[in-house]
Amino acid sequence: MKTVDGDKAIEIADLVVRYGDRAVIDHLALTVRAGEVYGLLGGNGAGKSTTLQAILGFVRPSAGRVRVVGRDPASEPAEVRRAIAYIPENVALYEHLTARENIDYFLRLAGLRPVADEINKAFGTVGLAEEAWERRVSGFSKGMRQKTAIALAVLRRASVLLLDEPTSGLDPGATADFNALVSRLRGEGAAILIVTHDLIGVADIADRIGFLERGRISDEMVAEGPERFDLRALHNRFSRARAA
Amino acid sequence: MSVILSVTRNELRHLVRSRVALTGLILVALLTFAAALTSNAYQADQAGLRERLQHAADQDFAAQPNRHPHRVVHFGHFAIRPASGLAAMDPGVEAYTGNMIFLEGHRQNSANFGDARQSSLLVRFGQLSPALVLQVIVPLLLVFIGAGMIAGERERGTLRQSLLAGISGGALLSGKALALGLAALAISTPAFGLLLWLGASGGARLSAVGLTTLGYVAYLAFWTLLIIAVSATANRSRSALIGLVGAWAFMVVLVPRVAPEAAAALAPLPTRVETDIAVQRDLRSMGDSHNPNDPYFAAFKQKTLKQYGVTRVEDLPVNYRGLLAIEGEKLTSSLFDRYADQAFGAMEAQGRVMDALAVVSPTVAIRRVSMTLAETDLFAYRRFLEQAEAYRYDLVQRLNRLQATAVTAADDAAKSKNAAAEARSRISADHWQAMPHFDPKRPSAADVVGRAVPALVALLLWLAAGAVFAARAGHRLNRSAA
Repeated sequence: MKTVDGDKAIEIADLVVRYGDRAVIDHLALTVRAGEVYGLLGGNGAGKSTTLQAILGFVRPSAGRVRVVGRDPASEPAEVRRAIAYIPENVALYEHLTARENIDYFLRLAGLRPVADEINKAFGTVGLAEEAWERRVSGFSKGMRQKTAIALAVLRRASVLLLDEPTSGLDPGATADFNALVSRLRGEGAAILIVTHDLIGVADIADRIGFLERGRISDEMVAEGPERFDLRALHNRFSRARAA
Repeated sequence: MSVILSVTRNELRHLVRSRVALTGLILVALLTFAAALTSNAYQADQAGLRERLQHAADQDFAAQPNRHPHRVVHFGHFAIRPASGLAAMDPGVEAYTGNMIFLEGHRQNSANFGDARQSSLLVRFGQLSPALVLQVIVPLLLVFIGAGMIAGERERGTLRQSLLAGISGGALLSGKALALGLAALAISTPAFGLLLWLGASGGARLSAVGLTTLGYVAYLAFWTLLIIAVSATANRSRSALIGLVGAWAFMVVLVPRVAPEAAAALAPLPTRVETDIAVQRDLRSMGDSHNPNDPYFAAFKQKTLKQYGVTRVEDLPVNYRGLLAIEGEKLTSSLFDRYADQAFGAMEAQGRVMDALAVVSPTVAIRRVSMTLAETDLFAYRRFLEQAEAYRYDLVQRLNRLQATAVTAADDAAKSKNAAAEARSRISADHWQAMPHFDPKRPSAADVVGRAVPALVALLLWLAAGAVFAARAGHRLNRSAA
């Protein structure tokens, strides 16, 4: 993974995003450091998707500041996006291409020169079965698609990973594989922001968990000791956040 | 640039792997090939046929025996329009205007009072020409292939993934446009190949070939940019498709169909029957050379006698009947020319209305460019008619002068009752054999190009508008992938 200048890979300060008169994000402050996994929890309409859109440069802030690896996504969207690997709940790949061709294409879009051995190695790292490498992705399961997307993130050496409900719909085995991959990427210095409803899953890998309510972080918990998080407290807090 | 080419390569791979798109491309490419092949064969056949017919007509005219010159006037002659260099690309209005005129005394036998409405594109649907394929069918196929190129990716989520890889909206749009443009070029290749062949084989001027190619490239590039820009703007590929099919129907079918109707309403053209009635009425009021009391010809007679310094027609050194024929032909020709000028004036006014509609349809502009450079437009037809009429008038007046100078008035008067006089009134066939052949001159290359330039400029403005629209759509794409 690339190292980030300073350790604030994602820095959001006093962010406001309005749609008309309605403030969807209301003075949000959030920081994700290099080598850190941040879990962002929130109910429907709390502003999770808008936060991601602002980080990705698809939404221009009404006020406040967003910086990703020191750059402003609103003014330098292409540069910022090159530093980010975004893995949505449903990974979109080109159905007419094989897994290798998809990786090859997206790497070229990122301005990188694909090397076959490195792609093979990345497929091996994420655990994508070898027989799937040259198959069109139209027959891939959700887990296989996510592995392909993570292989791409590995190859792009993205310093920031945005994961949007990444384990939704995955079986426990695939979820465990996924979490292991995320932990590995964190170990390599990536800043990882996970937006999810999966309380248990995120508690396994997050270093900090923030609760998003009405467009702002209402509370934040930090992993401590071998148990990392008090699951009961986490559950109670999340229930309150969802009810809000 | 390599990023743009990566997008292009991926899009072309998608087209090749998508059987429906590939089948459509192959079918239209075959259609273009068939149009180029059949149109070229037909026009080559036509060129040979017209040359043979003109030669045969010249031979028939020259093969007349010794006879009275006025009989030769009514024997007549044919003027046949030579095939133009790019007629195989765009036959234009040729199919409706005719290419052969029977030339005789006292008449203008041509379709030069025809209705301009016949040049409507819809009427031409029945003819398969490379121009028709490029103007109508290729844009429609591009619409079906290209409408979902970006909108479809937005629906499937791959657009966002592509933009998140770091490519700009402009580069993505450029890559897609290049792919669609290459597809357009691939299916149009037979038509462009025909243009090159016509230029290389000497059948067409290189300036016309070059500008026709430029015109069609600009036209197809406009459609490519429009399609990609609409696809980038629409939320769904179905919306893009509906919008683009609507644009195609408006610009390619509706405007070119409505244009002649609007032109006819703004610059009405008399029907053939109305014109014929008016001509006959004017002919009757013009004077009767056989009526000794007709004021016009009575004055003409006095003027002629005075000119030759005699008091009786019988004392003239020339055959007065020949002089009457010359004067009569002059009168009727001026009348026919006046009506022809009026008709062509109205047609030109209609043409200006149709040309003005190029601001709402690039198809109107490319049709003008294509037909003008192919020399198959109304102007080229008028030029042929005018040259044929000039030839007819010269031929008839030469024969009338022969009647005046080579046939005596006495023999001319007695030829119906006196066999010897009739024999003497027949003059040598050498006279018709020495008559000049019809040899129409093509307009200069500069003239043809000059007339095509306004429509070509309109076409390039359409292309510029398409480029601006595409650039804005590409810029917006950076923020609208969600």
